[in-house]
Amino acid sequence: MSTYILMKLLESAPSRYDKGIRILTLGRLDRAYERLISYIANGQKVLDIGCGTGALTIRAARKGARVKGIDVNSQMLEMAHKRAREAKLAQNIELCEMGVAELGSEESESYDAVMSGLCFSELTENELHYTLKEAKRILKPEGLLLIADEVRPNSLIKRILNRLMRIPLVVITYLLTQTTTHAVKDLPQKIKESGLLIESVRLNKMESFIELVAKKPEEGTR
Amino acid sequence: MRLLNYIAANIAGTLLRLLPFPCKTGLIKIGNPDGNSPVFLTGNYRLTVERVKRALRGIDAYLLVANSRGINVWCSATGGRFTNHDVISILKTSGIEELVAHRNVILPQLAATGVEAEIIQKKTAWKVSWGPVYAKDIPLFIENKLKKTPAMREVVFPWRQRTEMAIAWAFTTSLILALIMLPLWREAIFPLVFIVWGLSFLIFISFPLYSHWLSSEGKRIGFVFFDFGQGGFQLILWGILILGLVAYGILIGGFTWGFIFRWGFVLTVVVLILSLDLMGSTPVYKSGLHEDRLLRVVLDAEKCKGAGFCEQVCPRNCYQVDRNRRMATMPRAERCVQCGACIVQCPFDALCFESPKGEILPPQAIRKFKLNLMGKRLVKAEKK
Repeated sequence: MSTYILMKLLESAPSRYDKGIRILTLGRLDRAYERLISYIANGQKVLDIGCGTGALTIRAARKGARVKGIDVNSQMLEMAHKRAREAKLAQNIELCEMGVAELGSEESESYDAVMSGLCFSELTENELHYTLKEAKRILKPEGLLLIADEVRPNSLIKRILNRLMRIPLVVITYLLTQTTTHAVKDLPQKIKESGLLIESVRLNKMESFIELVAKKPEEGTR
Repeated sequence: MRLLNYIAANIAGTLLRLLPFPCKTGLIKIGNPDGNSPVFLTGNYRLTVERVKRALRGIDAYLLVANSRGINVWCSATGGRFTNHDVISILKTSGIEELVAHRNVILPQLAATGVEAEIIQKKTAWKVSWGPVYAKDIPLFIENKLKKTPAMREVVFPWRQRTEMAIAWAFTTSLILALIMLPLWREAIFPLVFIVWGLSFLIFISFPLYSHWLSSEGKRIGFVFFDFGQGGFQLILWGILILGLVAYGILIGGFTWGFIFRWGFVLTVVVLILSLDLMGSTPVYKSGLHEDRLLRVVLDAEKCKGAGFCEQVCPRNCYQVDRNRRMATMPRAERCVQCGACIVQCPFDALCFESPKGEILPPQAIRKFKLNLMGKRLVKAEKK
């Protein structure tokens, strides 16, 4: 019987994604997203990289922004579509199945903000580098990059503690959703290297979860 | 050093064959490649990357390692972990576009279940050609001016691969059983490990002797253990082992019912675990776990133009293109393992899956909805 239940759980991964991620981030994700969204204003044009089931996209649309959400997972995007319709925000939301490697098709200096929740941790080093470069290009001067993600703690002890704490969570989440995340290394450093200016960084006590706001400098200042 | 690396990857990769084994993604230069050198692409399963690098020795080429989540090419592509996006991403973000003048990339044929050549070309202008199934055939493939022989297109299960699978199952099973037995029955661990390895090798090495009787038809998903005539094979194997047990007990003189009972139970567990999804452990049969095993590929003769993409990607050589009638035929349809590569790649949507009930799974669904861990697609078949 227990095998049967397990099989049923495994059958429907994307629909359980949100739940799984909530377990993995111990519920801090919603609060982090609310704080990031406070930077979005009515009428802005916003890009959500790796929108998944639309957690950030819908929040931003609710504040009156026009949001484009991109993700590589078509099944997640379908969930996002459904949630956007249910929230009656579909007219402000555009969802596209595309990866960060296709950001080259976006117009330069066309977005007021680029945001990303738990997506950078799924990118490879090359993709991360490329995404930051493209984000800088498509942001308007003084436009904001908003990131909430898992990062690798700087201190060795916290890194080890974090690993140990995560093991049971990773197992549960993987069984439920076949999803897992990999912490990003040296994110603030990489953002500085891309030419964006860091406005604020907020880390949790374990230094394993970051909320970061960076700004594209005005022309001539850099 | 390079050889050591190769050996280490092979040992670790074989012992832990049942788990993902990722390596770094990105661009690797083999030899001294220039702007005209061929570009190969594969997934970031460490063992695969080491073997491709070895096969490419002495050839000047670029190797792109795309993110397949540390899973081998066939499984990751079929399971939706190695997709168009991963291929587009490595082509765009690895810097290869600045290094070569051409736009031709060679992908492993087994990626054709999940990567769509048409989409890659449309989005990146890179033209995909399907390389051989096995990396060892790459040098000959290059010599043949990038043409594959039928043998290069086909998956096989020779003794080397069977040995690898035997080790993979034996290692995992004996490790788990040993850990369970540690607090329960410590003296039995050594003989048990011995039995597990022996049985595992017996099952996999003797595969050609009985593979003829394997069949996925009529098997229920709840009975993943019973690959042979609903458990007949297990019963025979188990019977032989019990007889051996009794003989051993009598010969040694320590025959007691407790001894027979305890070991009889342990042997049952071992036989069941080792034959768990046996067919899925081979490349020549569909896993007993997968609902797709009962599907049949159907060809729409009106849509088919005989382009032969199906022939190029079929890992079982089911197809033959009739050049006169300009049409694909399936003279070896019974060998199909329902991987879906032909359906995904057909530019005319001339192929689809049909269930035993006559329901249709159209190409769009096969391209979009991949098999999950349980071998199930999150899409329902349509009524005809």
